[in-house]
Amino acid sequence: MKSTSKNLFLLLCIALSLVNCTKIDDLQDDPNRALEVPPELLLTQLETRAFNTISLSAALATRQLVYTDGVNSDQYYNWQRSGFGAYDDLKQVQQMILEAERTGLPAYRSLARFFNAYFIIDMTRIFGDIPYTEALQASEANFAPAYDEQKNIYLKVLDELKTASEELSENGEDIRGDVIYNGDALLWRKLINSYYLRVLLSLSHKTGDTDLNIISRFREVVNNPQDFPLLTSEEDNGVLPFHNIEGNRYPLFRNNSLQTAYYMEKTFVDKLKTLKDPRLFAFAQRTPQAVDQNLEVTDFDAYNGLPGSAPLDENVDKAGNGEASMINERYYTEPANEPGILISYAELQFILAEAASREWITQSAEGFYTNGIIASMRFYGISESEIDIYLQNPDVVSEDPSPEMILTQKHIAMFLNTGWQMFFEHRRTGYPEFDISGGGVLNNGRIPKRWMYPAKELTQNQAHLDEAIQRQFPEGDDINAEMWLIRE
Amino acid sequence: MKYYFIIIMLSITPNLFAQHGVSGKVTDTDGIPLGGVNISVPGTSLGTVSDFDGLYSIRATSDRDSLTFSYIGFKTRTVAIGGKSQVDIVLSEDTEQLREVVVTALGIRKETKALGYAVQEVQGAALEKAKEPNFVSALSGKVAGLNIKNSTDLFQNPEISLRGESPLLVIDGIPDRTTDLWKVNADDIESISVLKGATASALYGSVGRNGAIMITTKKGKEGKLTVNFNNSTMFQPSFIRVPDVQTTYGNGDNGNYAYVNGGGGGSEGGGWIWGPKLNQPDPSTPSGYMETPQYNSPIDPETGKRIPLPYISRGKNNIENFFRTGLVQTNNLSIDWGNDKANYRISMSNVYQKGIVPNTDLNNTSFSLGGSITPSDKLRVTSALTYNKQYTNNFPAVGYGPTNYLYNLVLWTGTDVDVRDLRNYWAEGQEGYQQRHYNTSWYNNPYFQAYEYLQGYDKDNLFGNLSAEYQLLPGITLKARAGANVYGLQRTYKEPKSYVGYNEKSLGNFTVQNTNYFDITTDFGVRFEKALTANISLSGEAAYSGYYRLQNFHSTSTDGLNVPGFYNLDNNAGSTLIGENREEKEAIHSVYAFVDFEFYDTFYLSLTGRNDKVSTLAKGYNSFFYPSVSGSVVLSKLTDLPGWISFAKVRGSWSRVSDGKIEDISGLNANAPYNYIQAYDKGQAWSNSQGTRYPSSQYGRLLISGALKPKTSDSWEIGTDIRFFQNRLGIDVAYYQAKDYNNLENIPVSDASGYEGYLLNGNIYRRKGVEFTINATPVRNDNFRWDTQLNFSQYRRYIDEIYGDKTYTANRLKEGDRTDKLNNVSVYQTDGQGHIIYENGFPVSDPYGRYIGYTEPDWTYGFSNTFHYKNFTLSMLFDGRIGGLMYSSTNQKMWWGGISPGTVNQYRDDANNGESTYLAQGVKVIGGSVSYDSNGNITEDTRQYAPNDVPVNYISFMKTTSNAHNENYHYYSQTFIKLRELSLTYDVPETLVSKTPFHAMSVSFVGRNLWLSSKIPNVDPDPGKDNLQAPSTRSLGFNVNLKF
Repeated sequence: MKSTSKNLFLLLCIALSLVNCTKIDDLQDDPNRALEVPPELLLTQLETRAFNTISLSAALATRQLVYTDGVNSDQYYNWQRSGFGAYDDLKQVQQMILEAERTGLPAYRSLARFFNAYFIIDMTRIFGDIPYTEALQASEANFAPAYDEQKNIYLKVLDELKTASEELSENGEDIRGDVIYNGDALLWRKLINSYYLRVLLSLSHKTGDTDLNIISRFREVVNNPQDFPLLTSEEDNGVLPFHNIEGNRYPLFRNNSLQTAYYMEKTFVDKLKTLKDPRLFAFAQRTPQAVDQNLEVTDFDAYNGLPGSAPLDENVDKAGNGEASMINERYYTEPANEPGILISYAELQFILAEAASREWITQSAEGFYTNGIIASMRFYGISESEIDIYLQNPDVVSEDPSPEMILTQKHIAMFLNTGWQMFFEHRRTGYPEFDISGGGVLNNGRIPKRWMYPAKELTQNQAHLDEAIQRQFPEGDDINAEMWLIRE
Repeated sequence: MKYYFIIIMLSITPNLFAQHGVSGKVTDTDGIPLGGVNISVPGTSLGTVSDFDGLYSIRATSDRDSLTFSYIGFKTRTVAIGGKSQVDIVLSEDTEQLREVVVTALGIRKETKALGYAVQEVQGAALEKAKEPNFVSALSGKVAGLNIKNSTDLFQNPEISLRGESPLLVIDGIPDRTTDLWKVNADDIESISVLKGATASALYGSVGRNGAIMITTKKGKEGKLTVNFNNSTMFQPSFIRVPDVQTTYGNGDNGNYAYVNGGGGGSEGGGWIWGPKLNQPDPSTPSGYMETPQYNSPIDPETGKRIPLPYISRGKNNIENFFRTGLVQTNNLSIDWGNDKANYRISMSNVYQKGIVPNTDLNNTSFSLGGSITPSDKLRVTSALTYNKQYTNNFPAVGYGPTNYLYNLVLWTGTDVDVRDLRNYWAEGQEGYQQRHYNTSWYNNPYFQAYEYLQGYDKDNLFGNLSAEYQLLPGITLKARAGANVYGLQRTYKEPKSYVGYNEKSLGNFTVQNTNYFDITTDFGVRFEKALTANISLSGEAAYSGYYRLQNFHSTSTDGLNVPGFYNLDNNAGSTLIGENREEKEAIHSVYAFVDFEFYDTFYLSLTGRNDKVSTLAKGYNSFFYPSVSGSVVLSKLTDLPGWISFAKVRGSWSRVSDGKIEDISGLNANAPYNYIQAYDKGQAWSNSQGTRYPSSQYGRLLISGALKPKTSDSWEIGTDIRFFQNRLGIDVAYYQAKDYNNLENIPVSDASGYEGYLLNGNIYRRKGVEFTINATPVRNDNFRWDTQLNFSQYRRYIDEIYGDKTYTANRLKEGDRTDKLNNVSVYQTDGQGHIIYENGFPVSDPYGRYIGYTEPDWTYGFSNTFHYKNFTLSMLFDGRIGGLMYSSTNQKMWWGGISPGTVNQYRDDANNGESTYLAQGVKVIGGSVSYDSNGNITEDTRQYAPNDVPVNYISFMKTTSNAHNENYHYYSQTFIKLRELSLTYDVPETLVSKTPFHAMSVSFVGRNLWLSSKIPNVDPDPGKDNLQAPSTRSLGFNVNLKF
């Protein structure tokens, strides 16, 4: 019996040990993730981040829409902090460069210059000085980078953009994973050069700065179309198409708030009504009162907005009484709706028009201005005959369009698109006027000039942040302080 | 023929003499009857237990047999029957040999006096009567330091923390890393040992670093065949806590409401409950009340418009009308039998839970087999196997949002809507496409949700173990054991068209998710025991242990549905199905050993050591050793203590445990167990304008150190166990401290570095706590006995060292701060004297987060009392918490949305009339300015103030502030006391039972969750968090236990 027991025990031990003999070393590769990827996988990701520019907050801050579910800080101008989230995008750009070098595909390196410029400009115009030279050095153990002066960031960005376009004329083959231009390097150069002009115009307060040489840089591009191709029609628009596929739909598709708590802004609607602008019908719905009265969709009297500066309760009352237009249904019923715009041909034309009106370039502003209007109206599907009628409206056309007219058209062309661009245009030029006359506006009735630095910098990068604040803003990290970019 | 006669004689003899009956009474030295004394006949499998009156009767095989009487805490006595039919016996207390035995790590039974650390045991019998759907909830309030936060929702895990950390679950010595709290049926539990602290469980390795809840399942017992049937039926007929809402005002905004199409905008008021006053007389209308078009208005056939209906408070009882009586029914049948060679137990259980939400339920069925064989006195083989199935076609979704029933039923539905009118939940002519509700942009019709949005769950668990022990030489035993957990889980989500998600309406969807899981733990070891002298003995074990886990996950979803209500992946409306899959493999190889010394029954010392090699850290960093030491001294043996001290012991321990697995890192959880590898994650795929689809990648948000070491905790504890007055009063106190270092943490870095954080070994924390358990038997006499237990504990965690050269953590904690400090809460600015600053009548936000309190309770306590009177047992358990803040979404949203009773006031009427009359208490700035340093400290303040004199619209004010500044920013004290358990049991006396086919019978009436008193309104603080919890229910029912 004893030996039987012993053998039985040994048999059990052998059986048990058979089921568990995996080597540790064999389990140390992640089967679910890749350590290296081709750069095209990063390009797709970056494009969907940079070109997805639909922002309700921006539409509130630029007096295009109004919110009625509470006192909104974008609408009533008492916002505080913004974030450094775009540094994560910049890191993806950094990875794309690494993968491009690893795989020997230099076009991605050149596209990376553009994305670098785009994301850093997107942030510096929000805050002022931000980390740039020392940014993205975590792998070199720099976890609290110093802040660069805003001017230096702009200087570097301008050179980067120029280099990007130049390089792409040489190495622009083999761009895959491109959902914007399908790998067409010429279109990318057009977009980059047009964006370069946007950046130059955003520096319009700095024309006297000899380091920057804004005007001569601007002229160089406009006068050398061979070396600096620009967007030539709305076909060339830098846009991200949305699709009726999970994750690729228009960001506001089926959005509940848009159907219940957002209304058109009154000064914006009034402007379109004054100009008899048919784009109003593409932006808005008739008011419930107008629907009750069976007013036509094409009747300008069927539309009305809520004043963005009025106290919340007044707007809620008016909305409740059916006096306000909501946004056009297509924004929440159409899965693809309209694409996200990074920069459009229309915007480029308004940039050129403003430059002409500022006499940076010798061409007349009128042609650019008119082209911009036409391109924008085509984007919204306005018929050619309606465009012709519009262009005969003396309130619209002008041989010598004023900056206010140009920026008003830009404001209309950027309805719920192109991100926060229109807010910064207004900050730079003061046009078109954003209404702050109502009793609801906070921040002592002022439109803020910037955002406070992210709270995380207070705990994680305090010394550099303090230094940056002190050299820029004697009043402290304040939303009403003026950064270098907009100081004369 | 002779032989035949002898054989017949031999075979019938026992039967003839088996009729020898003995009965008697067992008492203690004071003459007080002792119930529960084990009485056995040595050399046979016969045995019984004395009843509450100390009476017993047993049938011995022969009048020459003896009887052995044993009872915990008393000296065992064996007496010869000597032909008597009545044997009364007096047992004396064994203060010298207090042989209390508990199950410790690796299933080893040890005497409590030998333990150098805190262990508390709960007998399975304590869980049998007042049933909870899972056994962990039934432990609430019973164990000091074990804090259980019970969910009010169906099929949601209670949150378990042992000394502030999440403990390991161990079933029959095999760690259950799936921590499935539903797969063990309470009826199959013999006992639960809670091993507190790291020392107790160092032998399980890293997974045991936070202590362990050890479940020992029932096995067959030596003795006659026993059939046990237990039924417990609990109803949930009412609520102990449900949101108290106003019924004065209805849906709408600024006092206006008129239904148009359910879209929610315009005159529908955006889904707010800030509408007109209900039940307003209006002589001009047919009903005599104010009338307005509503969702259920008939349509005028001539005008095509909706006919206004009276706007009255119809839905005051919406909660009672919608929810139904819940039910938890548990049935268990078990059969066990055994002799000295083999024993076996079969158990079948079913728990059926009917949810309070219509069309929700949960089934939980188990089938267990277990037993052991002892083919020779050198070999013993034990095995257990359980098959468990958990399944439901629909259980409620939880969390704040339109998937939550209370959200749709109470929080965002004014009482102008009567839920009974919503039973017909499809819009006319749009069956399958559009639900019918008063607002179809933001909210779901609760009935539509209950009957059309279905969350299915089907899990098959199979787990078991096999162990063998072989005695090689006297004092040396070889051991082998393997235990496995296997499960297959299928979850389905059926989402109808028009179902409202948080921010969008569904196109209809169907999702299927499958998980396959397998793990196995195997141990091979050798155990030795050696008595060095009569008073010094030594024992120990050395072993190898291996662990391997394999898990696969796969999920497929449609992108919209073509045909409504047809839930099949083939019905996908989109151009492609959406899929995801993941594979995880993990292994740990370990060797460990321990040695126990015992001197003179007085001094005990135990040493352990373990080395792990894990697959979850990089090569070169993945093998590590950790030791522990613990000991105890029985003072009552060492010196002469006063007579009223029956027993006294002090204990102490120190341990180090290291853990090589990276967990609980936000953003990395999906990569477990490969978190230590820096790699690309999947990004959003996109199509170009031609429809060609491109995948994408993104690099991780955290930088991961290439030199990650295991995280380590060094902890020590001291404790004492003192018993007084012949064990009538016992006090157990434990104090512990742990230092957690090399923590595998996401250390925040400036986002500008490219990463949100750096995953490295950083920060040092200190945990400490104290636990008291007081047991007493204040009264014990012939007919009556009162047992009571009070336990209470406190736990704190501090950050002692912040990694790097930083003053603050991301939550603005400084070194030395408690980690539960709320120091970064968004608040409004004040003038320094506690007055809120207003601009335009609205409070001004503070750009810096501020301190408002701590979240950890000061004390967690449980107080139980059991009264025995003859055959009746009454027991009750109160438990609760004192102090600690919790955030309440329910309360915040009630103020915000307009459904809080606090919003019923004159200001609201004024606002409805378009008047701005609400003047918030505080100040406004009339001059000067303030500047802050970057820590938010005021550096210069020249502000001048005047009292706030800007009246505002009350509704705008509440919609903007949620009244947060008057409600501590909706952080409420958790302080509460709850009557957790009340049961009355009647054990049918032996005299009555003997007339039935049963061996024993008992009937209990039980209640759980009967009464609650708390500081926080509208929600039950028990879960410790509130993200719009389900109403908290009261359970009442009965339990029947029959033994054949």
